[in-house]
Formats: sequence, C-alpha cells, structure tokens
Amino acid sequence: MSRKFKLGNLYLGSVFVLLYLPILFLIVYSFNAGDVMQGWAGFSLKHYSELFSDTRILEIVVSTFLIALLSSLLASIIGTAGALYIYNLKHTVVKNIFLSLNNILLVSPDVIIGASFLILFTVMGFALGFTSVLLAHIAFSIPIVVLMVLPRLQEMNQSIVASAKDLGANNWQMISRVILPVISPGILAGFFMAFTYSLDDFAVTFFVTGNGFTTLSVEIYSRARQGVSLEINALSTMMFVVSLLLVLFYYVISTRAVKNKKRSTRLVLPASEGL
Amino acid sequence: MPKSKKQRQLFYLMPYGLWLLLFVIAPLILLLFQSLTTQNGQFTLHNYALYFSSGTYLLMTFNSVWYALLITIITLVISYPTAYLLNQLKQKQFWLLLVILPTWINLLLKTYAFIGLLSKTGTVNNFMSLFGIVPQQLLFSNWSFLLVAAYIEIPFMILPIFNSLAEINPRLEQASRDLGANRWQTLRRVIMPLSMPGIKAGIQAVFIPSLSLFMITRLIGGNRVITLGTAIEEHFLVTQNWQLGSTIGIILIVAMVITMIFTRDRKHSRKRG
Amino acid sequence: MQPVKLCAFLVTIDLLIKSEGWELTNISTPIIEFKNVGLSYGDDEVLKNIDLELEAGKFYTLLGPSGSGKTTILNLISGQLTVTHGDILFEGNIINDVPVEKRHMNTVFQDYGLFPNMTVFENVAFGPSIKGMSKKDIKTKVTEMLTLVKLNQYADREITELSGGQRQRVAIARALANDPEVLLLDEPLSALDYKLRKEMQYELREIQQRLGITFVFVTHDQEEALAMSDWIFVMNDGVIQQNGSPEDIYDEPINHFVADFIGESNILDGIMKTDYLVHFTGKDFENVDAGMRPNERVEIVLRPEDLDLTAIENGKLIVTIADQSFRGDYYEITAIDDDGNEWQVQATNKSKIDERVGLTFDPEDIHIMRFNESENDFDARLESYEGEEDAEK
Repeated sequence: MSRKFKLGNLYLGSVFVLLYLPILFLIVYSFNAGDVMQGWAGFSLKHYSELFSDTRILEIVVSTFLIALLSSLLASIIGTAGALYIYNLKHTVVKNIFLSLNNILLVSPDVIIGASFLILFTVMGFALGFTSVLLAHIAFSIPIVVLMVLPRLQEMNQSIVASAKDLGANNWQMISRVILPVISPGILAGFFMAFTYSLDDFAVTFFVTGNGFTTLSVEIYSRARQGVSLEINALSTMMFVVSLLLVLFYYVISTRAVKNKKRSTRLVLPASEGL
Repeated sequence: MPKSKKQRQLFYLMPYGLWLLLFVIAPLILLLFQSLTTQNGQFTLHNYALYFSSGTYLLMTFNSVWYALLITIITLVISYPTAYLLNQLKQKQFWLLLVILPTWINLLLKTYAFIGLLSKTGTVNNFMSLFGIVPQQLLFSNWSFLLVAAYIEIPFMILPIFNSLAEINPRLEQASRDLGANRWQTLRRVIMPLSMPGIKAGIQAVFIPSLSLFMITRLIGGNRVITLGTAIEEHFLVTQNWQLGSTIGIILIVAMVITMIFTRDRKHSRKRG
Repeated sequence: MQPVKLCAFLVTIDLLIKSEGWELTNISTPIIEFKNVGLSYGDDEVLKNIDLELEAGKFYTLLGPSGSGKTTILNLISGQLTVTHGDILFEGNIINDVPVEKRHMNTVFQDYGLFPNMTVFENVAFGPSIKGMSKKDIKTKVTEMLTLVKLNQYADREITELSGGQRQRVAIARALANDPEVLLLDEPLSALDYKLRKEMQYELREIQQRLGITFVFVTHDQEEALAMSDWIFVMNDGVIQQNGSPEDIYDEPINHFVADFIGESNILDGIMKTDYLVHFTGKDFENVDAGMRPNERVEIVLRPEDLDLTAIENGKLIVTIADQSFRGDYYEITAIDDDGNEWQVQATNKSKIDERVGLTFDPEDIHIMRFNESENDFDARLESYEGEEDAEK
C-alpha cells in the first residue's frame, strides 16, 4: 500500500513539474546573459534594463493596467446595480430570464464576443482604440461582478432589512448603511476578478483594438510571432510576481469574507476561453 | 414608498439594462444578422449554403471538433488521477492552490514559453540530442498544438473534478471497502459515478474553449490546425468576410449549446419504474 | 487465610462459573481476540494495551464517552485502522495486515454511508455483486435481507427518498447481505429520535439472535448498552475500564469513572476500617466488601434508587430535602446531610422542601471502589471474598 502511495506521489510530482516547468523556464532565462532561450551564458539583469528602457512596452504596461483598473471599477458599479436589480425582482420567470441573459457572455467563447463586439462598434461607427477596448472589457466584466455579488445578497439576512426599515431608515440609508456593507466582500471579489480577467484577456481585445492601441497580451502575441526575445521573459517574470501578489491579495480578502460569513468560497479561475 | 421603490429599481436598471441591450442582445442579433446577409446587406442563406456545401469548411469543422475532443480526452486522462490523488493529500487546499496558480499567469506568456522549449534549437531538442536524437522541428505540428492546449486546459479540468471528489463523503469509500470491494472496484463503482458532475463540468470547461482556440493554433500549431476559432479570426481580421465569419460564429454557438446540453448535470434523471 | 484454602476457594468459584456457562471461561477459540493492542498517532496514544476476547454469537457493546477509543477498537476490528503494536486475531489467526475488504466482517456506520447514486436494491446488492454472485442469487439475497429489515416494499427507492429510520435499516441489510461472521455497528442509532431508537434496539437484538452472529455495538448511551448487550466493555481514555455483563457493571462498578458513567451515583470518600466495616460521613456502616488493607481509603457508591427516605429515628443518616422534581414514576430528590454532602435519591413519595428526614440503605447497596485497582485485581478480590462467603455458608 505504501508503494502504491509513493507511485501516486510520483505521478502528482510529475504533473506539478509539467505545470511549472514552462513558467520556471521563462523566469530562469529572463536572467540569462545570452539572447536566446537556450544555453546559459551567465547571470545578467540586462533584459530587465532593456525592458525598463523600452518606452513602448512601458506605455503599453501603463495603458493595460489603466484599462484593467477603469474597466473593473465601472464594471463593479454597473454589476452591483445589476445584482441589486435582479435580487429585487419578485417574478421568478423574469428573474431567470435576466440571469440567463447575464450569463451569456460568461459562457460564450471569446472569439464570438470579440467578433460580435467588432460588428457592434463598426455598425455604431465607433472608432477602434482605447475606448472600444475599455468598453469591451467593461462589458465582459459586468456578469462576473453580478455573479460574485448576487450570492451575498441572497445570503443576506432578511431580518436586517426589515429591522432597518423598522428603525426608520430611508431608501438611501438602507443601501449605504445596511446592504452595501453586507455585500462589499462580494463587490471586492468581483472587482478583483474583473481586474485579472482584463489583464489576462487577449482574444476580445485582439478583435476590437484597431491599429493605434495595444495591450500587453496583444503586444506579446505580435512579438512572439516574430520569435524569441528575452525582454519578454523579463516581462513575464514581472507579470508572474504581479499575479502572485494579486492571488495573495484575493485570498486575504476571500478568507476574511469566509471568516465573516463562515461560508467556504470556491477557488475561482480566470476564463479559459479564446486561447 | 412603492413609488420610490420603483424609482430605485429603475435607477439600478438604467446602466445594467443598457449593458444588456448594447453588449449582450445587440451583438448576438448583429452576428445572426450578418450571417444572413450579403455584403450589400440583402437577406440571404447563401453563407450557410456555402458553408455546408464546402468540403473545406466541413473538414475544418470536423477537425476542430476532433482536436477539441482529443484535447478534452488528454486533459481528462491526466486530470482525473491528479484530482483523485490531490484529494487524498493532507494539505489538499494548498496543493490545489498550486494547481490553480498557473491559470493566473497570462496565457500568452505560457504559450510563449513553449515556443522557447519546443523550437528547433530549444531546450527539448537540446535535451534529446543528449540521447543522440537529431533535433527536429517540434513547433508547428499537431502534437505541439495538442501539448500546449492540454497544458493550458489541465487546471480547468482538475478543479471541477477535485471539487466533486472533495464533496464525496469519505465514509462511502470506507463502506465500499467494508463490503468487500478493493481500491479499484471502489473507484470504478462508487467514486467515479459520484464524481460524474465534476467530470461533466470539466469537459464543458475544456471542450468549448478548445473549439474556439485561435491564438495557440497560430503561435504553436503554425496554422496546420485550423479550428472554428481560427476560421472566425481569419474571416474577420484577415479576409474581411464578416458574413461568412458570422456564419461560422453561429455554428460555433450551436456547437457550444449542444455540448452544454450533453454535459448538463441531470440531477433527478434517475427514476425507475 | 491459608494459601491452600484460598486455592480451594478459587477452584470452587471457577467450577461454579463454568457450570453457569459464563462467557469468560469458555474454552473454545474466541472469534476476535486483541492481544496487547495499542494505537498511537505520533505521541498521542489513542489505545493503550488492549486485551479482549469476543466469543462467537454474542452481542457485545463498547461503551464510553466520545474520544474514549471505542470507535477506534471497532475500526481496528474492521481493518479501517492498523495497530501500532500488538495483535488482532480472527478465529485464532493474526489479521493485522489483512485489508478491510478481505475480512469476514461488515460495518453499519453512524451516518450509514449509503451510496447516494444507487437505489436501495443496488446498495444492498453491492457486496454480493462484488463477490461475483449471479444475478438471480443476488436478487434472492437482497430480497431476503430487505425482508429481514422490513423494507421489501422499498427496493426501487432512491436513498434520498428514505427517512432516517429507513436508511438505518438499509444500512443494516447491506452489511448483513455479505453474510458477515461479525457485524460491527458504530453508534448506528444515535441519529434517530427516541421512540425509533427504542424500536431499533429491540429489532437489532432480535436480528442478532435470529442470525446468531456476533454483534459489536459501539455507543455512548449507557441505557442502550444495558438494554441490548450480553457483555459490555466500558472504555475511557483508550483503556477498557471494566468489562462484564450489564448487571455486573451496574452493580459493581470498579472505579469512579464507571460508577459515574453508568447510571446515576452518589459517590463519597470513605475508609474501609476492616473487612465488612466501612466509615463515611463520620459514621461506621456494615457492608459486604472485603479483601482490602485495614483503614484503606476508598470511594463509596450508593445508587439513588437504592436509597430510601424514612422517619428521622429510622435513618442511618439525617438529611435535609433541598430540591425535588417529579419524573413520572418517581421523585428525583436532592438532599443535604449534616456534613454538607449532596445526595440524589429516587423516592416514590413526595417530600417537603427543607424537611429533615432519615436516609436509609441496606449493607449490600454500599459499593466499595478502591483507588487504582486494576480489573484483574478487582476480579480476583471479588472472587476471593465471595468464595469465603460461600464457604462460610
């Protein structure tokens, strides 16, 4: 039996190696003094200095984060309003219709989202660029926020609302003092998920970005088509660190939420669509 | 009070409803509309007729489904034992976190890593040449495409299976052993049927995106593998034939719906006479 | 007492016991035997040097509070756990390393462990089908088992459609369908309501007697244990505190724990002045225990139902009624004696609060417990002076 267990550990070990090898490979070579992802020419930070003097890349990093921040902020606001609207709906059938509509963008392949948004922007005569990318990112982030906020609302103790009313709270006081504090962990989680989705998105952006504007994913795509450049490795390492920090942050807020709510939060993954 | 409640609902609905109309309903209608019109905007079924009469498109669709199926099977075969073994570990939540961590890394970067690993002068070839195997082009082949796609999809398969396995009362495994079933019989007759919802969710999470992949086909597959996703991208951004692109999009949506119907979690389907 | 005389008494007692067919001295091979079995997780010793023998065809109960090691013993028998040291024997053969599925025993789990993806029939058929029985034989077997637990109408039901009591029955039928030689039951009745539990106690006992196989029943409910068992093992802190028939355990608790855990007890400190004379609450009382050192410190157990309230002049002790509550067939009375000791008394008549009354009891109702007496010493002492009594008669 112990032999069997060791065999199992061996299997798990190799799966983990498979999962992490490409990532470690990227990180290790970002410190290579040579210019290709093979052979080790010694340790060097030259690709990092290259990266930091590459103004084009830096600009793209800034605009990528700007898009992520703006889109997740706006999506959080609209998504929360949507969640409140759906929550307040009395009619089950209507509620289900709204829920299904809400989930369409979640299950659609990114290619479809990208292509249909491209048609939409063209039909409306909207110029492709920063604004179209921002709008697209807001659009696909809203259902994520709704999905994170709605369970919080449904778990909310009905008697708090009733007692707030009983104590004479008006509508606005009810929302700001009672409902928002209760659902704020959900909004925060939704904001965070939207942020990472936006950072990660390639396919939708690729369709609606036009010629003048680029995000990191699209930039890496076009550079990777031209071949290997260790500057990208350096960039990957930085992004890896950022991802780690984001995950850490997310776990801190979600475990805090669990402590408050005594409810196990499932691990959530970014979309796997549109690779 | 009722009046203000109505106003409040309206206040919520304004931004959200606008989003629903503009970015959910309108794009879908536009996509359908595009697929049913000519370049001049006249109604036609020509695009569908073209699609279904063309050997190239049908073969492409078949290939896309076939590769998505292969990717799904490969990830399932690797992921099920992984999820099963992970579930037996003491610190299983921690190890699961380690499985999920790679999904937070931009997938372009992960794909990019494989370009370095698999290229003709890349690490894998260098390693193989140690054993006297002549370096060969590993990139731009069907196999490299399958490898990278499976690599990226594995965590999305492991997670739902792990969750469904973790929900199974460990007592059931004990009970099965107690009744005389060995490990394998227990797995086959108790654990596997009970983890079926997870397997289905995993298939859903892998098969649908695999149908629509286009980035990996370009970077790793070297255009040898054309999926429905690649075809859509090609028609929209390269050949600018949006009508046909939309037609393929609609077909992709239909394929997606079919997959979801097949992998639906039928909770109360078991009724005996 | 002369050694020769003692030996003679022991032999007499032994013969008497054998003639009465007491379990402990049966010569045939026990169906399950623990030899110095221990189980530890790191430094945490869950079971300490357990020795026990179970005879085929009897209803055994492992009784103790949670964490006492009773379920651990069950899991060692079934094979879900393996010993750290010592041996477990089944019909005389060591089975330490025999995997769960190869043991001729089946378990009824506390939460039943029914397979939710199978019907009642499929659950019960699981064991026989693993064994490779033919479809026809399986059907016969399942029907037989479901009839035994009175569920033959429910074969095609989903598990989720059953009530708690019905699930319980399915679990029993499923475990019995494998024709086990030993049926292990891990607190199977704890999830049922009071009435259903009583009913199942009776039925389980009946099933055991009808099938004639060995039952090992784990519970923390002393009433349940006393009602169902042929033989009880009382456990605490990973040690068997006492084992014996329900009557033995109730009437002669070996130590404070057993006296407190089984039934209600008044436990007091006292001194055994000489044989048959015990001193507590400042008075000497005649009793029936012997075999201790002169003036040995002991604990006294008096059961509430053995105490009677009487007129002051007839009382062995004088107490003041502090509290009383009606319990249907008796009054539960709390009384305080002049030393400040609290007494629980079960009385048939109503009393008045603050009334001073006499408290009385018979010499044989005084149970003496020595400190740190092992079970073997306890048995030996009991046999020795009881033998003496017999000889004196």
